[in-house]
Amino acid sequence: MDTNLLPSEKKSLIYFLSLYIFLAIIILSLVSTMYYNFQKNLMFSQIRPKLTEYAKDVIYRLKEMHQSLGEDLHYPRYGGFKSAIYDADYVKIFSLLENSNVELEKVIYKTGKKIHFIKEPDAYYLGAKYIVIEVEDSEEWLRNTIKNIFIFGFMFLIFMGFIGYFLTKLFLKPMKESFMLLDNFIKDTTHELNTPISAILANIETIDKEKIEEKLQKKINRIDIAARTISNIYQDLTYLILHKKISSVIEDVNLKELLLQRVSYFKILAQSKKIDFVLNINEDIFIKADKKKMAKLIDNILSNAIKYNKVGGKIYITLKDRYISIKDTGIGISKEKIKDMFKRYKRFNQSEGGFGIGLNIVYMIAKEFGIDIEIKSKEKEGTEVILRW
Amino acid sequence: MVKIFGALLLLVSLGFGNVYEKNCVNCHKIFGPDLKKLFFAYLLKYSSEKRVKKALYEYLKNPDPKKSIMPKEYLKQKGVKKRSKLSDKELKKAIDIYWEKYRVIGRIK
Repeated sequence: MDTNLLPSEKKSLIYFLSLYIFLAIIILSLVSTMYYNFQKNLMFSQIRPKLTEYAKDVIYRLKEMHQSLGEDLHYPRYGGFKSAIYDADYVKIFSLLENSNVELEKVIYKTGKKIHFIKEPDAYYLGAKYIVIEVEDSEEWLRNTIKNIFIFGFMFLIFMGFIGYFLTKLFLKPMKESFMLLDNFIKDTTHELNTPISAILANIETIDKEKIEEKLQKKINRIDIAARTISNIYQDLTYLILHKKISSVIEDVNLKELLLQRVSYFKILAQSKKIDFVLNINEDIFIKADKKKMAKLIDNILSNAIKYNKVGGKIYITLKDRYISIKDTGIGISKEKIKDMFKRYKRFNQSEGGFGIGLNIVYMIAKEFGIDIEIKSKEKEGTEVILRW
Repeated sequence: MVKIFGALLLLVSLGFGNVYEKNCVNCHKIFGPDLKKLFFAYLLKYSSEKRVKKALYEYLKNPDPKKSIMPKEYLKQKGVKKRSKLSDKELKKAIDIYWEKYRVIGRIK
């Protein structure tokens, strides 16, 4: 089965499997109970003629005792079974039973390891309305029943497992198809974007900005920012579609160098909203990872920090051993929404552009390199993304 | 002659014994039926102490041939007994003594 499932797919799959397992267990329990009761009743019907004979022997003897008018009150004792007599008000007249837990409304039942059989004589000799016959149950039938329940139950569960596997595949198919449709759409759209964006960026770089007047320089800067934004989105989408095919080149990545480089890249974009970077990056910190992917991870966090920041806000970046913190002074996000942040196509602010894939990429890259992400956020105060590894 | 003798014997013995003996045993001894046989007949029909005592009480309070435990032939010959004149308390006491005398519970070995 495909193990690269999205959290939403995993959640649906877990719900479905839980329900499926629950139903399978219910069916198994019901069938097992029915089978157990059937086997028990079969055993009762097999033993019943013998117990009826025992009861007749007791009744015959009771009749003799009754006819002696109380002169002979020696209760009969037999080797193969025990017995007791009860009157019409369920009061014990005499008992030799080992298990005194009697249920006189029933005909035959099992109590502990004993089988009790209740027989009502034609007349109440010595006042006895109920004759209880007690025999030991060898429980051979019970052992066979349990054995069969285990064997057939196991086979049933394996069978249900196979059906479950195919049902799950069937269940996930429409979900996967809808994601695939969206992915294909993005893939087709983005493919056509690459060449014009590259052309715009390359041409802007060739312009000597110092030779042109200030007004035009501002306009060119805006074009540069817009093109870089599109370029970022393009790269994100490409990563999302191709990430399974991109193999990582693991090396010691200097995070100080990388962070400074990415800050410099986003500087023009940040300046457009009058956002200042406050850097606390001193030491050379290294991480074993793919440099391009780490750049993408940082880009996405920085891009969000700018996108959701207020005009004239700040972005605080701290780098320490096994620790990066990127904190903005923007709109923040409510606690309930934090857990959904890494879902693909999830956007919390419709006023800003984007496809809602940035943090999904962050999540995938962080997962690949064993980086833990912690999000601290307060609405209208800002968001802090902390990476630990 | 026998009846006169019996009546005399009854008058003499009425002064002795408890409520059961005075009011039940003395008469049954002379005119029958045998109280022990009667007890086992009640036991055979009514089973429990509560039911036997209730049946006895109701019959003694209001003797009805339909409710009698005796065979029809016996009733044809001797008819039913007269209604007991004992108070409820005395009658219940007499029945309790009767039950205690012939009960099987606790005596079976």
